Amino acid sequence: MKKLKIAMAQIETKLGDVQGNKEKIIDAIYKARESGAKILITPELSTLGFGSGDIYLDKVNENLEALEEIKQVAGEAGIIGVVGFVDQDERGFFYNAAAIIEDGEIIGKYHKVQLVNYRLFDEKRYFKPGSHLPVFKTKYANLGVLICEDVWFPEPSRGLTFRGAEILIVLSASPYDRGKNLLWKDFLRERVRDNILPAVFVNQSGIQDGVTYWGGSMAFSASGKLIKELPLLEETFGTVEIDLDESKRLRRRDIRVREVRREILEELLDAYEDMNL
Amino acid sequence: MNQTIDIKLTEEELEIFKRIIQKSILTRIEKIRAKGGVVALSGGIDSSLVATLAHEVLGDKLLAIIMPEEGISPENDIRDALNLVKSRGIKYKYIKINDAVKWFTEMLPNQDLNDPRTRLTIANVKPRIRMIVNYMYANYEGKIVLGTSNKTELLLGYGTKFGDMAADIYPIGDLYKTQVWQLAEYIGIPTEIIRKKPSAGLWKGQTDEEELGHTYYEIDRVLYALVELELSVRETSELLNISMDSVEDIYRRIIRSEHKRKPPTITRLSKMCLDKDWRYPVERY
Repeated sequence: MKKLKIAMAQIETKLGDVQGNKEKIIDAIYKARESGAKILITPELSTLGFGSGDIYLDKVNENLEALEEIKQVAGEAGIIGVVGFVDQDERGFFYNAAAIIEDGEIIGKYHKVQLVNYRLFDEKRYFKPGSHLPVFKTKYANLGVLICEDVWFPEPSRGLTFRGAEILIVLSASPYDRGKNLLWKDFLRERVRDNILPAVFVNQSGIQDGVTYWGGSMAFSASGKLIKELPLLEETFGTVEIDLDESKRLRRRDIRVREVRREILEELLDAYEDMNL
Repeated sequence: MNQTIDIKLTEEELEIFKRIIQKSILTRIEKIRAKGGVVALSGGIDSSLVATLAHEVLGDKLLAIIMPEEGISPENDIRDALNLVKSRGIKYKYIKINDAVKWFTEMLPNQDLNDPRTRLTIANVKPRIRMIVNYMYANYEGKIVLGTSNKTELLLGYGTKFGDMAADIYPIGDLYKTQVWQLAEYIGIPTEIIRKKPSAGLWKGQTDEEELGHTYYEIDRVLYALVELELSVRETSELLNISMDSVEDIYRRIIRSEHKRKPPTITRLSKMCLDKDWRYPVERY
């Protein structure tokens, strides 16, 4: 059985406190190494912190410098890092992003494809959405990375599944309101069940200006079983062991990924275009 | 209609709410390096709840100020407030506001409290006197003011602007009154406080429900339908089997009181108008 130990850094990042956030991430890298984990996941936008306010526009450079340092430490510790940060492209556009760090190098970046702009959220004020769903080949597994809202839509995880992801990694900064933790459990399980893939979800904890990030990070096996759940509201660290072969075993008889029909995908696209006419 | 009024909190939610409220108080105090919190304690359920939740995490860094108008504030409120601080070991001050009320009243041309205009004006002066005392102690001791407004009051505008509504944070501002009752019971607030008829205590014998014309149970259901379920007045009336007039009355209160829930509107003249374009959190790093 191919097992992979993954570390979950449920840290209390603070919007704008790049130095403090960086130290927490570095501390989590050391904890991951001690625990024998191969991969460490941080919450969404962990270097800059998630929250409300125009600080995103002020501290992007500082956040990129912090990522450089995190990259080095992860390399020295022999940890693969999936780290939430604000990316900036050569045109000066910002992205809500995740850096995939292996051997001290950034081997790839993911840009959140479904930005949130309803209720208290205003991500389009700062970020451009990504439009690609790459799968990152690492020495341990092919990683499919998603950020928060991406999981509330079935399509992004579907894309990663078709691209050969062996595990779904979800970085999040989800604000609490009644029942939110239960809703998330449903969404994650639905993605896992549809795609017959394991998933690890890491959520920020802490409060800022009355908005609570509820923590409660979770991991599901490919069969949809909840195999790890970190406490709500607390800053904490956890690890989970994922069986990477389970998905392959299940897919011997569960043909729902293999038998997706191209005609139906085309029909779906047609229907989508009809909807937006 | 398939929608339901889901105001009642589960045991799990009550525990989560309690922890979040306490953490939000601590976070603000730590972030701005304040030395603690001040809360005006009337002996009613809202302030008793805020004081108790805050005391559990702040201990001696919490100061409760009991500010009755002796002879007007109900005696059982004063007694309940004193019992609460004594039984829980909450640090407190007792300051009666009678002289201050008199001083302000004398500034009015018509000082007859039987005149409805004078009566309402003075009713609003009292929470503003308490506000000054609150902020005086907050300044003096380097603390923040913990507001005690709940969601029902905030939506109805049932509070005095710059009076009891003046605060640095509203720890229970997203809880409906009936949820306040639930949380108060959950954390063990004495039953005499929970069972008491809610009153702003602005004149003798006043009760909120009489003044508002509906019970809090009814009001909360209407507010929940209008605000959380986003139903229209007609849909709300049908769902709850409550007259259109009653729902309309509550709906109008929400609209009319928007100004109380917002800081003063700034006339925009630049590209960086401070209440419209400028967006920075208070808890800023």
